[in-house]
Amino acid sequence: MKRRDFLKGTVVLANATAFGNLARGGQLTPAPCPVTLLPMPDYGRDMEKEIAAVMSGDGLVLKGKKVLLKPNFVEAHPERPINTHPAIIAHVAHACLRLGAAEVIVGEASGHRRDPWFSVLNPKLRSILDKRVRCLDLNYGDVVVVANRGGLTGLPAFYMARPVAEADVMISLPKMKTHHWAGVTLCLKNLFGVLPGIYYGWPKNLLHFRGIERSILDLARTVKVHYNIIDGVVGMEGDGPIMGKAKPVGVLILSPFSLAGDATAARIMGFDPRKVLYLAQAARFLPGLRTEDVTLRGENPKRFAGVFDCLDDFKKMRGGPFF
Amino acid sequence: MDVSTVDIKRSAGKLFSFLLPGGGIPYYKGGGPSAEPSLLALLALSVSGAPPEQTKRLLTWVTKLQNSDGSIAINPAHRDQGLWLTALSAVVFHHFGLKDARDRALGFVVSLKSVTIPNDPRLRQNNLLTGWPWVPGTFGWVEPTAWALVALNVSGLGGHPRAVEGRAFLLDREIPSGGWNYGNPGLNDRELLPFWDTTGLALIALHGQTDVDRVRASLDLLDRNQEEIDSPCGLAWTAMGLETYGKDASRLKKRLFSLMNSLPEDTFNAAHLAVGLIALSGKKVFVS
Repeated sequence: MKRRDFLKGTVVLANATAFGNLARGGQLTPAPCPVTLLPMPDYGRDMEKEIAAVMSGDGLVLKGKKVLLKPNFVEAHPERPINTHPAIIAHVAHACLRLGAAEVIVGEASGHRRDPWFSVLNPKLRSILDKRVRCLDLNYGDVVVVANRGGLTGLPAFYMARPVAEADVMISLPKMKTHHWAGVTLCLKNLFGVLPGIYYGWPKNLLHFRGIERSILDLARTVKVHYNIIDGVVGMEGDGPIMGKAKPVGVLILSPFSLAGDATAARIMGFDPRKVLYLAQAARFLPGLRTEDVTLRGENPKRFAGVFDCLDDFKKMRGGPFF
Repeated sequence: MDVSTVDIKRSAGKLFSFLLPGGGIPYYKGGGPSAEPSLLALLALSVSGAPPEQTKRLLTWVTKLQNSDGSIAINPAHRDQGLWLTALSAVVFHHFGLKDARDRALGFVVSLKSVTIPNDPRLRQNNLLTGWPWVPGTFGWVEPTAWALVALNVSGLGGHPRAVEGRAFLLDREIPSGGWNYGNPGLNDRELLPFWDTTGLALIALHGQTDVDRVRASLDLLDRNQEEIDSPCGLAWTAMGLETYGKDASRLKKRLFSLMNSLPEDTFNAAHLAVGLIALSGKKVFVS
């Protein structure tokens, strides 16, 4: 299927009732949703204390909890910022320990590579993590069958990696990138990585066939995410999520609300989140799409806002200036 | 200097320690049994000289995973998942002399076809070729296609029409400058990165049925990157890929052995440990 056909089909869906009822699987809470922007000009700066302070200030209680951090590992390239940077993973993991987490797990079912050496089992990542932090390859191992609360893909259930299902708290750590099928990939798209490749294939090809946007929305309704931290220190523009170019932005975006985090990141990237179809549809059951839904904290967003280069098909999703 | 038989037997003991009371092997310690590590462990233990009585419980567990249509389930709880592993099961059944189980597995492998889609100008590849999918009803990818070819080759079915088209599929997906990514060779006139494991496996799958010059770029890629490869899985598949074509992989195997003995136990993936052992043994279980 060509991208244009794919997008055409998606637009039809966006204008129909095919995405289901508003309340089903929803997490709607009173607006506004807090979103904090922390400046981080490069990966050398230790952000553990600041991250812990913001998470705590957002009401995230970790004392005695089993916490799963879900970074975004796709494939490794020496020159392209494809994955969540190991320094961010370490800072967040250590912030969780600082806040009293009983157990911190870094877990990921990498989308392209079967070899976990290129994701969470890489010795370089493990070497910068506190010894109490465990790294788990979610592409293999045990699963829990969880009913699909969305129903857009036609899949009755998801085979979810057991550590995800058993965590008390899940924190999503995506990378700020453009995406050559969906426009942008941030917190909601990061949920593909809770599903083991050994069940879904690489790159979770079953989800692609059922519709990437439908799959994102089904997972957004099914998987409980407690907190989100977007690695926007160096993002990716152009032909993301793997073939694009580095785009330094210098920001971490923190929020308890996935859609609010995604919408804010999209605006910083120069996209109108209301034109990113899966984000617009997610607003039917998640809060945080509109500017008025979001309470921005921390650094002034003008400092980070710009325009991410993107493929022609996605230029219609652009908007702004928003800040 | 090659890794000694004694060393290999010692590593096989480490793999054997994964065996669960019920008979299967998990990917990671503490997990439930799964088809892939169990199947690869059978081959690894076999080439390491383990006596049949040691592998009997594992073999029995694996044979019970076979469904009535010949496919292999990922585990007893999810009998309709992981069916691409049926090709690997056919290889195992072949080497253990279970002809009926092998032929039923091959029957399923031949019947399993990837979905084709119209060609896309962004992807310089032929989407109309049929290979093998990870999941029934989806697109074809390098690794499941390579495993299906390995199963057909070792069983003497390298001339089957599905094998012929499968080889065309694999060759179509080869990156022009060498190697295989997991799927496409490129996007928008730019090559994707080759992966060591898929490249080694694809070379093995094409061996004996394809002109060596046709895959020379991929062989050279592995050869000249020997020092760059640092993952156990990458080292193992690269060593096997090179040795299948008669190239020296002794330095790779020494590094592989050293790595296998130095990794923390909680990072041991039993499937990769098994592949490592097969590579260290030098036995060519994936070619006819």
